[in-house]
Amino acid sequence: MAEHSRFLALLAVAVAAFALVPRLGGDYAIGVALNLLMWIALTQSWVVLSAMTGYVSLGHAVFFGAGAYAMVLCFGSLPFWLSVIVAGAATGLLALLVGYPCLRVRGPYFVILTFGLAELVKFVVINVEAALGQFGRLLFGGPGLAQIFYVVLVLAAVSVIVTWFVRRSRFGAGLRAIRENEEAAETLGIDVARYKVLAFALSAIVPGMVGAAMVLRTTYFEPLDLFNPITSFTIVSIAIIGGGDDVPGPVYGALFLVLMQELLWANWPEVYMILLGGLLVAFVLGVPDGIHGRVAAWRKARG
Amino acid sequence: MVDLFSGQLLIAALVLAAIYGLVALGLNLIYGTMRLLNVAHGEILMLGGYLAYWTFTLTGVGPVWSMFLALVLAGAFGAIVYRTLCRRVLRSSRLIEQIEANSLLLLFGVSIILQNVIALSFTATARAYPYLDDIVRIGTFQVTADRLVVLGIGLALCFAAILFFRLSATGLQIRALIQQPDAALLVGVDVERMRLISFSLGFAIAGVAGCLISMLEQVSPFMGFPFTIAAFVVIILGGLGNLAGGLAGAAVLAAIEVYGVALTTTSMRSILIYGVFIAVLVWRPQGLFGGRSMVR
Repeated sequence: MAEHSRFLALLAVAVAAFALVPRLGGDYAIGVALNLLMWIALTQSWVVLSAMTGYVSLGHAVFFGAGAYAMVLCFGSLPFWLSVIVAGAATGLLALLVGYPCLRVRGPYFVILTFGLAELVKFVVINVEAALGQFGRLLFGGPGLAQIFYVVLVLAAVSVIVTWFVRRSRFGAGLRAIRENEEAAETLGIDVARYKVLAFALSAIVPGMVGAAMVLRTTYFEPLDLFNPITSFTIVSIAIIGGGDDVPGPVYGALFLVLMQELLWANWPEVYMILLGGLLVAFVLGVPDGIHGRVAAWRKARG
Repeated sequence: MVDLFSGQLLIAALVLAAIYGLVALGLNLIYGTMRLLNVAHGEILMLGGYLAYWTFTLTGVGPVWSMFLALVLAGAFGAIVYRTLCRRVLRSSRLIEQIEANSLLLLFGVSIILQNVIALSFTATARAYPYLDDIVRIGTFQVTADRLVVLGIGLALCFAAILFFRLSATGLQIRALIQQPDAALLVGVDVERMRLISFSLGFAIAGVAGCLISMLEQVSPFMGFPFTIAAFVVIILGGLGNLAGGLAGAAVLAAIEVYGVALTTTSMRSILIYGVFIAVLVWRPQGLFGGRSMVR
């Protein structure tokens, strides 16, 4: 229990500190912090499915995009916060629907299946929008930057809490058993199919809500941007660089990546991408337990 | 109403099938022998395209000749990537546990490095060069000469690959490695050497395919990715690791793409490709042809 209360206290301090950003900082500071929170929320959610079960999803952009699309469809008829919740429910439902057939597929097949699924949904949305006569939608009169920031802050906190408690629950132990040996887990009486689909749905809800909130920041809906496979790849990169199947990994990874983005993206996008590629290679080969693993080892060595 | 029996569509489907067949062959070879998911495959093709473009623009030598240079350079590059990166994944007991996911992330890193190094060196602008673009008339339909050349070379290479894997000692050893890695080791196949050859050969074929594609399409730093995806669809259709099945899969995908678009609209192209891809993955992950046996 001491572990839980220490975690919750730390989280409360972090949330309080972030909550001060819109009061103290300008739009630039809010933007950077928002970016950081967004990647933390997305990667924490990814960890619940992919790091815990070993089913690597290369298509998490599909939930981000679908949530944004749900927001677009609700825009103007529902209040902002309600639309965000609707988006989360919609993406959770989407995950439940596609989860069962998808999660029967394993290993490399699952990885490319999730990627293919995200691309399929993207092109379906593009075609639906074209059939409706819409080519990119403008979303005027939405909430301000600070309001979006607070919503994403809450979502990031929720995603951190979900990862923390799932990781320490019976459910999480089951998920990790699936990663280590699915047949053995099934023999032990774990309802493997249900566990996987639940983890999939759980990992879809927050990204959907984040997508719904973030689309209002750009005030423009363009399927190619919101279902961008780069989003999926970035989530996986953050998780690899951060390392592990627990809360700290995505936080370290997102901090590292956002810092790099801020330094390089605006002026040297190619250099940023080359470095990101190099980091992926280096981390997969040299530091497979990520920053989190290194920090933990260093702490242990220090006693 | 489109005439589905027109020679124009048939040629388009055949050209696409030959290209997909070549691109997928290399990807399949690398997956089959080592379980490495080479997502950088399209980037090797892109490098081949740039090689053909610059050779033609600077010296006037056409892709039919620079193809040989691409074969050697891409093959050498493959050997380097294998020796420096991929072998370490195969040799680490920790990384080999999740070999597919690890190789995918590793080679994805390589892929974005290559894309952006090229974008930085030559800008992201798409480039094309005029080569053999005069029109040839055969009977009632007409086609540009470059398409016929691509079709001819593509089919010849696929045919050569089939012969290589059926007749040559190296080809047979590689197939043995794909079918039964442990048994291959027992009967004395030099696994390490065959892996190196497969990797290098996979890259070499992708480089050549890139030269051929540059005759028909513009080259750009980001041209490779769609081909990587198409190649994955093809080898899923044919069965991962099934080389002959891959060639059949290429024909199926090319036909679906060309005739599907002819029957609907261009915007349906991606939906068709991904739709088929997902349907096959979910219902028949072992591929359309055959059961568990990998290579025929």
